[in-house]
Amino acid sequence: MPPKTRAPRLVNNENDENSNAATTRLTRAKAATLNVDELATKGQGLQSKKTTVNANPVRKRAALGDVSNVTKAELENGKKAATKPGLVSKAAQPTGIKKTTARSGVLAPKPVNKKVEPVNRSGSGVHKRKEPAVEKDIPEEGEPLRKRVAVDLKPKTSQVTRKEPIPAQIEEPVLGEHVYPPGVKDLDSEDLDDPLMVAEYANEIFEYLRDLECKSVPNPQYMDHQDDLEWKTRGILIDWLIEVHTRFHLLPETLFLAVNVIDRFLSEKVVQLDRLQLVGITAMFVASKYEEVLSPHIANFRHVADDGFSESEILSAERFILSTLGYDLSYPNPMNFLRRISKADNYDIQSRTIGKYLMEISLLDHRFMAYRPSHVAAGAMYLARLILDRGEWDETIEYYAGYTEEEIEPVFQLMVDYLARPVVHEAFFKKYASKKFLKASILTRQWAKKNAQHYGILDTDLSLDQIS
Amino acid sequence: MDGKRHPSSFQQLEKLGEGTYATVFKGRNRQTGELVALKEIHLDSEEGTPSTAIREISLMKELKHDNIVALHDVIHTENKLMLVFEYMDGDLKKYMDTSGDRGALKPMVIKSFMYQLLKGIDFCHKNRVLHRDLKPQNLLINSKGALKLGDFGLARAFGIPVNTFSNEVVTLWYRAPDVLLGSRTYNTSIDIWSAGCIMAEMYTGRPLFPGTTNEDQIVRIFRIMGTPTERTWPGLSQFPEYKTTWQMYATQGLQTILPQIDPAGIDLLQRMLQLRPELRTSAHDALQHPWFNDLMQPQQQQHHQPQQPMMQPHRGYQQTVPSQATYDGY
Repeated sequence: MPPKTRAPRLVNNENDENSNAATTRLTRAKAATLNVDELATKGQGLQSKKTTVNANPVRKRAALGDVSNVTKAELENGKKAATKPGLVSKAAQPTGIKKTTARSGVLAPKPVNKKVEPVNRSGSGVHKRKEPAVEKDIPEEGEPLRKRVAVDLKPKTSQVTRKEPIPAQIEEPVLGEHVYPPGVKDLDSEDLDDPLMVAEYANEIFEYLRDLECKSVPNPQYMDHQDDLEWKTRGILIDWLIEVHTRFHLLPETLFLAVNVIDRFLSEKVVQLDRLQLVGITAMFVASKYEEVLSPHIANFRHVADDGFSESEILSAERFILSTLGYDLSYPNPMNFLRRISKADNYDIQSRTIGKYLMEISLLDHRFMAYRPSHVAAGAMYLARLILDRGEWDETIEYYAGYTEEEIEPVFQLMVDYLARPVVHEAFFKKYASKKFLKASILTRQWAKKNAQHYGILDTDLSLDQIS
Repeated sequence: MDGKRHPSSFQQLEKLGEGTYATVFKGRNRQTGELVALKEIHLDSEEGTPSTAIREISLMKELKHDNIVALHDVIHTENKLMLVFEYMDGDLKKYMDTSGDRGALKPMVIKSFMYQLLKGIDFCHKNRVLHRDLKPQNLLINSKGALKLGDFGLARAFGIPVNTFSNEVVTLWYRAPDVLLGSRTYNTSIDIWSAGCIMAEMYTGRPLFPGTTNEDQIVRIFRIMGTPTERTWPGLSQFPEYKTTWQMYATQGLQTILPQIDPAGIDLLQRMLQLRPELRTSAHDALQHPWFNDLMQPQQQQHHQPQQPMMQPHRGYQQTVPSQATYDGY
């Protein structure tokens, strides 16, 4: 048997959302789509529990701190808090882990939310956050995708001395089978010489992903059957996970998958408030295993949740979540659709960076849950281009996005609505207030405040939590 | 796939093989009597469910195709995970060893197997999945002459553009040169190289490039395919494993080393074994290759039509498939 390595742990986590992963032969298109909007720290990957967690001690942010020091008494005063064992904790039982009631978690009991005062933080209120990252230069925007000159494209069949003629002439690869509507440019053919664009399969792959996405939509009304949770608590959890995701230098795909896992799980199971953070951290753990080349060790996840759960609790939760979802992690990631649309937008780096921010709104604001990933991606790119004044939504971009302006409208409207309201998800806001993300959160909020009225959004002094 | 079934629903028969993270047994469904392959995955007490298992299950649930081994069920017990696969009689490696002429198979059998292999690969690639571990041991065969892709433990879904992945993939002998050179930005062409190596191996009964180390593997490939230069492969010197000390070999015609292959077959093989990934043919195009013109097919083969009729025995095709073979292709 030849030597073989399976599932290796590599030395560098180059797949990091934020690293400039130009190890080998980065082609232009790849560079254009992968390396820019998700740039940032050439951080050390999470190698061992010790290095990462200790080198980067958990910073308790204020918002998290406020609710994380929930005392047992507070919990018991909370709505149904800790009265009945939640399903998750039951699931964790097989390994014989005792459930502890009071733990420091991200999430406060339900009633807290009623007292929350709207923090009217407009774009100006950006906190200077200590950037651990080395700022990377944003490559020039809109670098045109030049077709590389392919040398020696034809296989050297001429060298083969044939004894008999080959029955039929083999055609050069063309994407001719696909029929494009009038006015739509075939953008994949120009990538035929770029292996990373998988041009030959691009149309089929996107058709497949569009089929697949209806299967992974969570139940948008799942909060109806969650006695202990509300949308607000979900928002707090996701906001915290965004911070964890950034700290762990994970791929953007991992974050989107993790949130999809959480929502599909909560669609199926009733979860107690004090187990929600366990669901969140475990979803991130599972999503990392699926997406990352090198996923962080379990200890990192335990530490980042303030040791609120033991590793065996996380492992029990992992098994319960995976079996609940039937091991189906085939979620068509919205990042795929965003990059597809960006291709029809000449890989404009600014619109894609803003678009990525707008797309992430759909993770925090539960009202997007009913929409498919491709629909959210289309809405995000549409709004990003509108804010940046990038011209009309023409046939080609409409075709690659898969949605007309009219179809996009509800998603787009919801994004403006989210942006025009006070900031409730601070980690998310801060992440995108940085220069490397083009201050997307500030820029878009300024725009939304100016234009909300135009789109019929009037009660913008109310926060998302107040209207949910 | 309800996941609620109990391991006791299956009678465990003999061991079929042992992999790095799993053991495969033959099994019988107690209710239906149906034979199955049971792949037992041991759960890591520290890191839980292996990422290989998570990907394998998730991807195989998606990939339903005649040339991909079917995953029937997943059973989760206290400390192990049991995957229930359709039963296949053996793997290609064992088949070559027992039924071939010193390992070599008959041309029409090879053609049928190559067609099915490429069909399976094409389906994976259309569904944005890279197999990343194609080799004879991972291709399962049944007594009807069907060939199916198995062991998706190294497989993963890709996006467009393809992300940076690990270069520690594919068993050395079947690993594409760009990956050997340290590329982590490979794509679907990685599976095509493996398919080319497998095709040659079916003709000779011996692996085409049986290297011992990464370095040796590269040299063995260059000795036959010719040592590339920056001129024949722009960007070559950018690879992490690029060496200025490589011995310069001239390209040997594949037809001289593999005289048993007909010219059309050599042409197809040549297209699959291109050093540069961007020049390698795709599974989709390879399936259109004239070499397959004389493949016995019922009427017009369509994508969605069952492939079974095509696998009817060809003239002179010995159908004996070892029933007691051990294999680890699940």
